[in-house]
Amino acid sequence: MVPAQSGTRARLMAAFGGSYFSSVLIGTVAVLLLLGLWEAALRYFEVPVWLAPKPSDFLVRLYTDRALIAGHAFWTSLTIVEGFTLGVLVAIPLALAIVSVGALERGLYPVIVFLNIMPKTVIGPILIIWFGIGPLVAALIVFLMSFFPVLVDSMSGFRLVDRRLFYISRSMGANPWQTFWKVRLPAAMPHIFSGMKIGVVKAVEGVIIAEFIASNKGLGFMIVRASAFMDMTLMFSGLVAAAIVALMFNGAMSIIGQWLMPWSRH
Amino acid sequence: MADAVVQTLNPDKATMMDMTMADMKARTSSGLVHPVGGASAAGASINARGLTKVFGSGENAFHALGPIDLDIKPGEFVSIIGPSGCGKSTTMLLVTGLEPSSAGTVEIDGKPLTAPISEIGIVFQDHLLLDFRTAINNVMLQQEIRGLDRATLRERADALFARLGLSGAENRYPWQLSGGMRQRVSIARALVHDPSMLLMDEPFGALDAITRTQIRHDLEMLWLETRKTVLFITHSIEEAVGLSDRVLVMSKSPGTIVEEIIIDLPRPRPAHLGEYPEFSKYAERIYRIFEKLGVYKF
Repeated sequence: MVPAQSGTRARLMAAFGGSYFSSVLIGTVAVLLLLGLWEAALRYFEVPVWLAPKPSDFLVRLYTDRALIAGHAFWTSLTIVEGFTLGVLVAIPLALAIVSVGALERGLYPVIVFLNIMPKTVIGPILIIWFGIGPLVAALIVFLMSFFPVLVDSMSGFRLVDRRLFYISRSMGANPWQTFWKVRLPAAMPHIFSGMKIGVVKAVEGVIIAEFIASNKGLGFMIVRASAFMDMTLMFSGLVAAAIVALMFNGAMSIIGQWLMPWSRH
Repeated sequence: MADAVVQTLNPDKATMMDMTMADMKARTSSGLVHPVGGASAAGASINARGLTKVFGSGENAFHALGPIDLDIKPGEFVSIIGPSGCGKSTTMLLVTGLEPSSAGTVEIDGKPLTAPISEIGIVFQDHLLLDFRTAINNVMLQQEIRGLDRATLRERADALFARLGLSGAENRYPWQLSGGMRQRVSIARALVHDPSMLLMDEPFGALDAITRTQIRHDLEMLWLETRKTVLFITHSIEEAVGLSDRVLVMSKSPGTIVEEIIIDLPRPRPAHLGEYPEFSKYAERIYRIFEKLGVYKF
């Protein structure tokens, strides 16, 4: 009787621990617990709001200043989309060119590797002189940060396509254009996509820093300005908003992944 | 006509238990000689003279193949057998123009080969299906690239799928198929556009012994009904003797054809070839040649 009962309980626990619903539930409870402790500690020690805001302060602020924050979040998102899209559009054809032309691999690739080693934010001040302070410079920095992982993984993707597939496509009388669109690009897609996933993480990280130094719009800019006014509450609200933007982009990437590669085994 | 061939050659074999249900069905409903109706492409003839392949140049040059002469009649099933690295696969690629030859000429149906020909179907040892296409869409790639009529090719693909025991697997991705099924899809891909030549490079090499025997038989039945010219590359004596009209034995570096063996066995041939005493004789002969060539080191 007793073992049977504990078996049932273990099964229930296992089912609970494994379900999607439970993982959301456990996550929510953990976050609420943390916020509750935070709120209680700050209230108990009477910490002034300019030093450390309570969750009730910055979550309410997130709501009351929603128009302002959403406006900046929109610019941040747009900057990510611009920079990242440009990165992908440049990286994939460049990867194909480098893989196809030996001279490019020997000549151009080392230069790109060198540029990648250089900290990208260093270029910020130069870009400001060329383009003026604004979202364009932030987008260019995002481009530089997200471009390289896409390039590297696209290169290995294009390279790893089985040569004999080209015999098969040639036996069908395929021209180079058809071979690229119907065979080589989709075959390399899993690699390209894993590069894109890393690229988007870099872009989301990079965009806030880029806006710190080189923009007059976006969450990064909003946070820096709030800092200048000692507006600690708005800084924390901005932090939460930035986290939400990052979550949205990661979610969007997995949707894009399923759209680009419906064949992959999920 | 194809049915007549099957039946007159060996009426008893047709009811043996090594036949699959699909074969039975195909036979009773007159098979898939021309699944779409209309004339099927007849097999092409292949004539090669002094075919040679040298990789690299100068001191690093490696004389891989030749010179070899090949004469394959329309609709003939010819195997090239030899130790690994003897240039069998290269021969296949040179004959189709997919790889340029270093010397020699090839004529397909009497016309000199100048560029890669596309009236062919190819099957390699690995299925080489595209992961991102379902089984049927892998086969329909032929239609897309060649710009052929979609409905006609789809009908042919369906007939081939039924014939190869693939019905129901149309919308599965390659990773959802077994090794044998993948290779069957790849055979369907090589035949769907009704080519005049089928080139197979160790197509059953990656399969287990049971699947290999079954698929060998299924291929033989398909060939009996369609009579494509087949150039079959293998290192398996059983496959070569079990399938071919003629076996060409190749030596190593540089690969040359050292002997031609005409396989005079009734068709369709059984799963267990050992029941023909002639089979053992053919196999024995090939073993002897291999021994003489120093293929085995005992």
